[in-house]
Amino acid sequence: MVQIHNAFTLFLSLLVEAMPFLLIGVLLSSSLLFFMDEGLLITKLPKNPFLGSVVGSCIGFLFPVCECGNVPVARRLLLKGVSPSIAISFLLAAPTINPVVIWSTWIAFGEQPSIVWLRVLFSLIIAIFIGFVFSQQKDPQPLLQPTLVKRVTRWQSNYNLNLVDSKQKKEEISPLLQSGTFLLNQGQILSMDTSLAEAKPDYLPLQSKLSKFYRFSDNVVQELRELGGMLILGSAIAAIIQVFVPREFVISLGQDAITSILAMMLLSAIVSICSTVDSFFVLSFAATFTSSSLLAFLIFGPMIDIKGIGLMLTVFKPRIIIYIFALAAQLAFILTFTYGYLF
Amino acid sequence: MSFKLLPLSLIQSLNPKKLPKNLRIIPWLDVWALLAWGTLFLKYVVTGQIKLLIHPNYIGLVLATSIVFLLLAALRGLYMIRTNLNQDNRSEHITLFSPHFSSSVLLIIAILGLLIPPSVLSSQAALQRGVTDTLPLTRFQPQSFRTSTKPEDRSLFDWVRTLNAYPEPDAYTGQKANVKGFIIHLPELPDNYILLARFVVTCCAVDAYPVGIPVQLEDSRVNYPQDQWLIVQGTMKTETLPVLSHNSESGKEERQLVLVAKSIEEIPTPSDPYDY
Repeated sequence: MVQIHNAFTLFLSLLVEAMPFLLIGVLLSSSLLFFMDEGLLITKLPKNPFLGSVVGSCIGFLFPVCECGNVPVARRLLLKGVSPSIAISFLLAAPTINPVVIWSTWIAFGEQPSIVWLRVLFSLIIAIFIGFVFSQQKDPQPLLQPTLVKRVTRWQSNYNLNLVDSKQKKEEISPLLQSGTFLLNQGQILSMDTSLAEAKPDYLPLQSKLSKFYRFSDNVVQELRELGGMLILGSAIAAIIQVFVPREFVISLGQDAITSILAMMLLSAIVSICSTVDSFFVLSFAATFTSSSLLAFLIFGPMIDIKGIGLMLTVFKPRIIIYIFALAAQLAFILTFTYGYLF
Repeated sequence: MSFKLLPLSLIQSLNPKKLPKNLRIIPWLDVWALLAWGTLFLKYVVTGQIKLLIHPNYIGLVLATSIVFLLLAALRGLYMIRTNLNQDNRSEHITLFSPHFSSSVLLIIAILGLLIPPSVLSSQAALQRGVTDTLPLTRFQPQSFRTSTKPEDRSLFDWVRTLNAYPEPDAYTGQKANVKGFIIHLPELPDNYILLARFVVTCCAVDAYPVGIPVQLEDSRVNYPQDQWLIVQGTMKTETLPVLSHNSESGKEERQLVLVAKSIEEIPTPSDPYDY
């Protein structure tokens, strides 16, 4: 009973810690989504696959949310005609390469600045590399989740395609759209299906500052609900592990340079804590783990974790996710091990 | 181009007759969940229970979050009453949970939080986390080492910090000490020793780590149950004792600084049990 109470306290502690950061992220992303024209962003993206990956990795600066908030954004980008390499780099890098996360990492590891910089640097390297690998696949269709395609066709039968105005068609010529009419439709229609979907002006109620603000709050509440639910799940698992799995067990998993990195990567995937707060979480292991394994946690965790897999399954085929995970895991291991070996 | 970003829910909501009545529950669940979370955070800040959960640096952030939650709840509530709109968000979201489920979980957790006060981390947690008299690398702050502090004014954490800055126990022998902490019975220590410990919080209770110094008693420690808070006055002395670390091999002994207790006063658990 005492154990359960302790677990509950830790759980609340994690939530009290994470909620403000989650709220900041949600408020920022909601306001950005309102004030930024995505179409404009897409036309300005570079066509070169390598540059695309680099730029994709840095879009995170515009969407300062943790990994749970990035999946819907990445999906929308992908289906709006952004090339997969950009979307994948964004998906992998954005949870780390954004001001809120860098700030919170700085607060947690301010006394070890190398952890902060290397987290950013290594995440960038991994995201650019994986994005570049996937840019070799020109046709994005095999990458995407087949149920998305079903949703498209169902949607198609219900709504008139004429909703898509011709001006937009001209604007959004991109690798994705060039593949054929079907993909064009997919791009347009799926974007309508997302949480912040496009709508025709005819459907709009009275436009006023107030109604705009209500829609803003609608989006905030929606994201808070989704991400808050995820946060609760992640925090609960983290608190249970903290209380019911003795520290000795985790420590015994990782005794030497190699296994400590692997243990922390495993932990980061299980715990699924949001990237905005994971640096605080990992601080509790700072006493017992090497800095290269902490770095592995901070790099790998935001890219891949249990709750992230659930979200990513809504975008990609499982096989593609396995590829991404395998690549990310290997790169994170190699980079952090090299760091641990050299310094 | 803000009209582009209109949620599908609003379009659907213009046709309220199509939606079943029970869908009204979701937006109201959201309002109640926001209200509950705002109240919970406000309660933690007002009652001071926040100190059991998080470093005081973040209290302002938590308070601001609570205010934003309460404002959002009020706004959504007013909106619901005024427009009488039914909003269904089910069809447009791809998540692991349905909105019903997420909102209910959020609401239930907040209500549980309001009902169950946070606990103070106990000796059991300390033993599980491994008590040390050394500070982890990231918390080691040599700049906070103040030689000017009088020995009897040092808190338990100050002592551990001082020992970290200059670990030779003989340097402190004979100094007076007056420290506050809770009792841990470390199996490594002889029967007439307790460990007087405190948790130190860097960010939140999750990363709280225990620090402590051994206290030599006149008699057996059985009279002093674990988790009892004490103020111990006495003098410092060097003794050879088993190493105070769970990670190292057992049986190893080292010269350590111990506090020889002259007076021991039992106190109730303080409202701010953690050190920062």
